[in-house]
Amino acid sequence: MAALSLLGITKDFPGVRALDNVTLETTPGKIHALVGENGAGKSTLMAIAACALAPDSGEIKIFGESLAGATPQQARKMGLGIVRQDPALLPDLTVAENIALGVGIAEVGGLSNAVKFSDLILKDWNVGIDSRAAISDLTQEQRFIVEISKALAVKPKILVLDEPTEHLSAGNVEKLFGIIREFVNPETSVIYISHRIREVKMISDEITILRDGKVRGTYNSDQISEDQIIEYVIGRTLETVFPPKLDYKFIAEKEEKFAVTNLHGDGFANITFSVRSGEIVGIAGVQGNGQEELIQALSGLTKSKGEIEISGNRASLGNSAAMAKSGLIYLPADRHAGGVLLPIAVGENVVARTLRDVSVGGIFINKRKLEKSAKQQVEALSIKTPSLETPLSSLSGGNQQKVVLSRAVLSAPKVILAEEPTQGVDAGARVDIYKILREAADNGAAVVILSTNGVELEGLCDRILIMSRGNVVVELAGEEVSEEAIARAALTSTAVRERVERLEHRQSKLHRWLRGDQSPAVILFTIAILLGLVVSLKDSSFFSAFNLNAIMFSTAPLIFMGIAQLTVVMGSGFDLSVGPLSGVLVVIASFFVVAKGNPILGFALLGGFALTAGLLNATAIVKLKVNPVVMTLATFMLFQGLYLFWRPTPGGAFPDHVTGFIAHSIGSVPIIFVIACALALLAEFASRRTRFGLELRATGSRRDAAEKLGIKVNRITFISYVLSSLLTIPTALVLISLIGIGDGRPGLAYTLQSITVVVLAGASIFGGRGSYIGLIVSGFLLQQVLATTPFLGLPEDWTYWLSGGITIIAATIFAQLRTARSR
Amino acid sequence: MDPISGKIDDLMSTWSRVFRGRSVNIALFTLLLFVVSPFVAPGSLSPASVLSMIPFASVLAMIAAGQTLVIQQRGLDLSIPGMVALAAVFGTSLTQNYNAPVWVAVVVGILVPGVMGLVNGVFVSVFKVVPIIITLGMNSVLIGFVFLFSKGTPSGASDGLNQFALAKSWGVPHTLMLALLLILVTGIVTQGTIVGRKLRNIGVSELAASILGHRVVSYKIMTYGFAGLCYGAAGVLLAGYIKTPNLFLGDSYLLPSVAAVVLGGSALTGGISSILATSIAALFLTQLGQILRSIGWPDATQYMAQAAVLIAVVVSRELLFLRKVKKKSKS
Repeated sequence: MAALSLLGITKDFPGVRALDNVTLETTPGKIHALVGENGAGKSTLMAIAACALAPDSGEIKIFGESLAGATPQQARKMGLGIVRQDPALLPDLTVAENIALGVGIAEVGGLSNAVKFSDLILKDWNVGIDSRAAISDLTQEQRFIVEISKALAVKPKILVLDEPTEHLSAGNVEKLFGIIREFVNPETSVIYISHRIREVKMISDEITILRDGKVRGTYNSDQISEDQIIEYVIGRTLETVFPPKLDYKFIAEKEEKFAVTNLHGDGFANITFSVRSGEIVGIAGVQGNGQEELIQALSGLTKSKGEIEISGNRASLGNSAAMAKSGLIYLPADRHAGGVLLPIAVGENVVARTLRDVSVGGIFINKRKLEKSAKQQVEALSIKTPSLETPLSSLSGGNQQKVVLSRAVLSAPKVILAEEPTQGVDAGARVDIYKILREAADNGAAVVILSTNGVELEGLCDRILIMSRGNVVVELAGEEVSEEAIARAALTSTAVRERVERLEHRQSKLHRWLRGDQSPAVILFTIAILLGLVVSLKDSSFFSAFNLNAIMFSTAPLIFMGIAQLTVVMGSGFDLSVGPLSGVLVVIASFFVVAKGNPILGFALLGGFALTAGLLNATAIVKLKVNPVVMTLATFMLFQGLYLFWRPTPGGAFPDHVTGFIAHSIGSVPIIFVIACALALLAEFASRRTRFGLELRATGSRRDAAEKLGIKVNRITFISYVLSSLLTIPTALVLISLIGIGDGRPGLAYTLQSITVVVLAGASIFGGRGSYIGLIVSGFLLQQVLATTPFLGLPEDWTYWLSGGITIIAATIFAQLRTARSR
Repeated sequence: MDPISGKIDDLMSTWSRVFRGRSVNIALFTLLLFVVSPFVAPGSLSPASVLSMIPFASVLAMIAAGQTLVIQQRGLDLSIPGMVALAAVFGTSLTQNYNAPVWVAVVVGILVPGVMGLVNGVFVSVFKVVPIIITLGMNSVLIGFVFLFSKGTPSGASDGLNQFALAKSWGVPHTLMLALLLILVTGIVTQGTIVGRKLRNIGVSELAASILGHRVVSYKIMTYGFAGLCYGAAGVLLAGYIKTPNLFLGDSYLLPSVAAVVLGGSALTGGISSILATSIAALFLTQLGQILRSIGWPDATQYMAQAAVLIAVVVSRELLFLRKVKKKSKS
């Protein structure tokens, strides 16, 4: 019986048939390779096998059991383990937490045992991964190792590895191969997806070749040569794919168009090379040796030092606008993020770089000129589009890439930098793209190509620069350019590759602590103490028991509001409505919690309203997908309207025994402050040690990855908004005691303050990280600052400046720390 | 498919076009609102009533134009209350308390929010701080300035400013004239010029725009600066019109500005937007308020009505969209 059977799978996407009647069966105890170019349908097929995507027709079986209609989680339970090219890891969670979520919290022996479990399964790799470190602090290679270990830890029957060696150094590729061989036994099988033909031949027993969505044959690995595989993968001989190269005899006569001298930057150093007009130069090497960084620096997107000359003129480094102006065109690998303007019309996309040429006097756009220019390009490059008005997003990958190239052609560039120019492009369009690039070179441009595709480099490039550890180590020119030579040079030069990356990434303990979740609390605490000392020098009553009591009492609602806001922010949401909501709650209570009123009913209504408000926000945001800022801004106004409607002027005095009860203190410490602190500690514990806490942070950290791991992200987000509204109840209680009368207006300020406190505590506004303990300190500091103004004899405007200013400064500092982290 | 559900689908697709489309559709709704106005609230279309509504619609349209530009850059400007209040304070107190000439008060009132907008822009584009946070903090700082310069009490607009804001030329109120001028200029710039195309591209994708060679940082800073000028002009005009502006007069324009942008069909995800549609939506919202006021609803309910309209529009748009997606995935 076959281990994994994919029978007659067909899948259509708008405009393309991604898979056409694909059948693939793996033998137990064997390693089965799946090869094909980018866009051949490998990833689609694996997504279908993993039940992440439903096929239009066909059947999936694991050891004879049908997977029809199964969810990804069910597929996983039935024994399908996948190591994705883009690991489903949560950057803000620790290694141990990621493994616990991936393997199952019960399976690792509870969250308290997660670190021990993680240490155990990472032991064999011996690459020094700290189980307590956040994923975002790991190198790409380490991340990939975590992903592989995670997949193996669940002991799958079928293990799918998608381009597993892309991020691994040579030594770790050996280790991986050892681990894979150890894994295979008569009860299991492995599917190994890669476009590295040599490695595929080394590791696999059987090979299936996929091209343009169809299976082109399944072979025994030792009965097929590398050359044959390549031919089947591309589907024709190389000569018909690539345009003729430059005649190298005349190269010296050509103008030097692009000269790089002694360029240094993040990830590369000492780069010197030049490209002549008409020449296509390829940059190659094992991935992660500085190639991407070099291209980014050449394009001006990142900073670098050294010298770049375009046609003899010095270009200004680290400035993409200036680079573009000097005639350099950059085609990024990630087309969707940086290449095209997806929602914009095809015609507009074509002329996006040459707006001046379709304008009147360089100011106004001339529609007719625009259409004429765009139409010419669409015809010249045979871009298949229904019309010029069609949004670019509805075109196929190949045609999108042609649109990107049409911009280059239109602007008569001096230099073209193309990164993976044929990634995700079908075979037909690929030929066109090679032709366009060669024509651009023939018309005088210097072309630099970064590619991981050896065949492409051999067929297209006149010269190859091979990079290792950030330097150009080998140069191949003319006849020397061959896929084999490129691969050999790349491998031999990186065979001794040390883990330089890791050394660079290892920082002092202090540095790591500074970027951790708890450091803001300590820093803020120090500031709070210093501020207190300064103020008490001016007025010694600042540290009086009475004043401290007042500060602590007013800090309590800030902590509650902070917990509310952080719970939403942790899940990557935002709640602007908390302030006015607390106002409404006070007003509701003021009708019942009065002399001869019905306080029990009053508090019940107060609680009921908070719950309703939370459900309203949550439903609109989660179920109806309304933007959280817009929704909570609308409820912000709604609640404001409500309290003004019910109490246009303050009214309904709260009885003293109620306000006194809420303000009750033991010694000089208000009980409500103790409760607030306890709640913060509890929330901190819950966020690290309970399933909900972990899933909330996971959802905020990377929603798509969390979803892949089977976390019900919508339910988590829903609950977070309800919790946020419920947590405004204690704030309303403090307000009742503080103002003693039914008035909603004082609650309004809590919206800003809740955000200030959260930002001060160092939480990421994008979700996933933050500290509830930090809220105690940041709430205390903010309240202390607000309480300081009268002591220093400052007028009311200072209250606004201080709370606004602190928010801005804290947000700016943490934004800088974050960009430093991502670098 | 049976005929009835086919018809419902047709109807729904018409509706979805109405909701998802741009200026034409909000214009349709606005027209509809004006047609039903006299039936709901007799007299709400009388010349006096319309004339009293126009200045507020004009002010909202100017503010919403600024908000549109910020939202086009994937931001959301929460500093509007502070910007408008500060403009009003300078527009009035400089003449009353510091004996400055009217033109100085007007120019300072417009320019200061412009400068503060540039500051917003620098924090957003250079320091990469999330726009809502920076504008929320900025709002508080601006209110601080409002208290500093006003010393906590509102002052009155100079007669010159007041008369200008109240007067008409060729039968057209000055408020409307200025709003139309602003809408016309920003409309032409955003729809018909290279600058407009670049702004749109940056709004769609900053990375793509910088690869295209657009100067992303400067364009973004200028956007926030220009938005500040819009708020400033609106604030000064409003102060002139109501003579003695309350220190918190900007508060009631924040939500409507967002609502106008959303109603006008601009995408909150940036890039695609229309100043004209936003302005028509501003007229819609103001007339809606006028109707509610003339049937005797208190001011507090205006907040609620605006919130309800905003939620209703956004939700119905999403519902139709979700429906469409479901239909697509089924077929």
